Amino acid sequence: MRQAARPAIYRYALLTRLSHWLWLVAFLVLVGSGLQIFNASPNLDASDKSDAARRVLAIGSPADGVGTTTIFGHTFVTTNWLGWTGDGLGSRGAHAFGASITIPGYQDLSGGRRWHFFFAWVAAICWFAWLFSSAIKGSLREMILRPGDLPKLWPMQAYYLKLRKAPPPHGIYNPLQKAAYTAVLFAVAPLVVITGLALSPGMDAIAHPLTAVFGGRQFARLWHFVGMLLLLGFFAIHTFQVLTQGFFNQMRSMVTGWYQPE
Amino acid sequence: MRRRLFIASGLSTLSGCGPISAALSQNGGVQRVLASVEPLNHVLIGTRGLAQEYSERDVDRDFRVNGFATPSDARYASLVASNFAGYRLVVDGAVERPRAFSLDELDAMPQRNQITRHDCVEGWSAIGKWGGVALAAILDSVQPRSDARYAVFRCMDNDGSGNLYYESLDLHQARHPQALLAMRLNDAPLHPDHGAPVRLKVPTQLGYKSAKWIARIEVVGSFANIAAGRGGYWEDQGYEWYAGI
Repeated sequence: MRQAARPAIYRYALLTRLSHWLWLVAFLVLVGSGLQIFNASPNLDASDKSDAARRVLAIGSPADGVGTTTIFGHTFVTTNWLGWTGDGLGSRGAHAFGASITIPGYQDLSGGRRWHFFFAWVAAICWFAWLFSSAIKGSLREMILRPGDLPKLWPMQAYYLKLRKAPPPHGIYNPLQKAAYTAVLFAVAPLVVITGLALSPGMDAIAHPLTAVFGGRQFARLWHFVGMLLLLGFFAIHTFQVLTQGFFNQMRSMVTGWYQPE
Repeated sequence: MRRRLFIASGLSTLSGCGPISAALSQNGGVQRVLASVEPLNHVLIGTRGLAQEYSERDVDRDFRVNGFATPSDARYASLVASNFAGYRLVVDGAVERPRAFSLDELDAMPQRNQITRHDCVEGWSAIGKWGGVALAAILDSVQPRSDARYAVFRCMDNDGSGNLYYESLDLHQARHPQALLAMRLNDAPLHPDHGAPVRLKVPTQLGYKSAKWIARIEVVGSFANIAAGRGGYWEDQGYEWYAGI
């Protein structure tokens, strides 16, 4: 028999909800426009200047109708997925990432750059405003992984894998959530911002160590791409968890702020 | 890989790419909003400091050729045939002393070499050793008037439809110590494919600023009346005038 519902709690402040959704939009635009920019030179080199001998990723089209992806020298045929894809104008062509996932869909480097630079500001301002306000309010503390949480990481994972009946005791956020949020907020997001800046020749002239520390301009481009993949990984797990753990309650709380405890 | 594609296709569904992004990308108002961050980036990054200079062993001996096709008109062919003996770099406009420099005159000015990285807007980079005359020295010799704000570089190459390439720098960028009118690449006179006899090299900005095959430098107060009015061939196609990022 169900117990009477406990009173709803006001879980997310307006700034948190606003920055969350704005950040989602910015993130999707940044990924799509970033892939558009990548398409203009679909290689990633672990070097300062372009260097085919240090190529980590190359997406290409060696012949009409064929797309290939080369990772660390191993080539895979990826026709219709990577290398030879939709051009956004009704047919297919030699584009690394297809029109369905780039912004704009059709090939347009200058358009991709405009979307990217605008939403880079939106994402950075959201990130900073939310981080600043959460730090002032003290709510950020509940999300940060502490040394005391480390022994609880595996028991939490074991609980998710159904190897354990109950999760280890924790606060609002469990140890795995804390690890993910801490990594994204303080490692991956700064990595993506800094490597993006490091790609800029104007920035390189002002603060060369910023570019040098990542191994040079092309290497920074590689790290920028890796940072995007890590954020996509976080996004995928985050979405999976929201979908599987009380989707409507989660969505309501991130839209209205009110969460209904079980 | 498949997992990433799965996630990526999920993304595109969520963001409703395709028709929506195409419509927004072709909406003038939306594009003006997106472009609104360019002045901010210009102010914050600007033209400060010096681009990294490299050593001889970093140089790409076979420097990548890009940009428009090498001019194929009769005038350029005759310049090449005469080893650019008849070439004059015209510097005029809002200046006190307009001049036309021959290659010998340019060679007689103080020369500087710099080994810098060329960063293309497409994303690739190459390193070359560029030799020539500081653009600041040219400007000093013609003395820009008080109403002068930009140096516009008029080029001999065209896009295949007759539109000549051009670029512009403001005078602060043009007087940057690494803004170079290059006549040599990797210790050899510029090859026609690399912009002979004189090209610009601005290592603090993306490669499209470094105009090739320069015929004339026109000093102006405003570039609003030149071509589509945005200060350069690629700028007229939607690229940023400030190319520091």
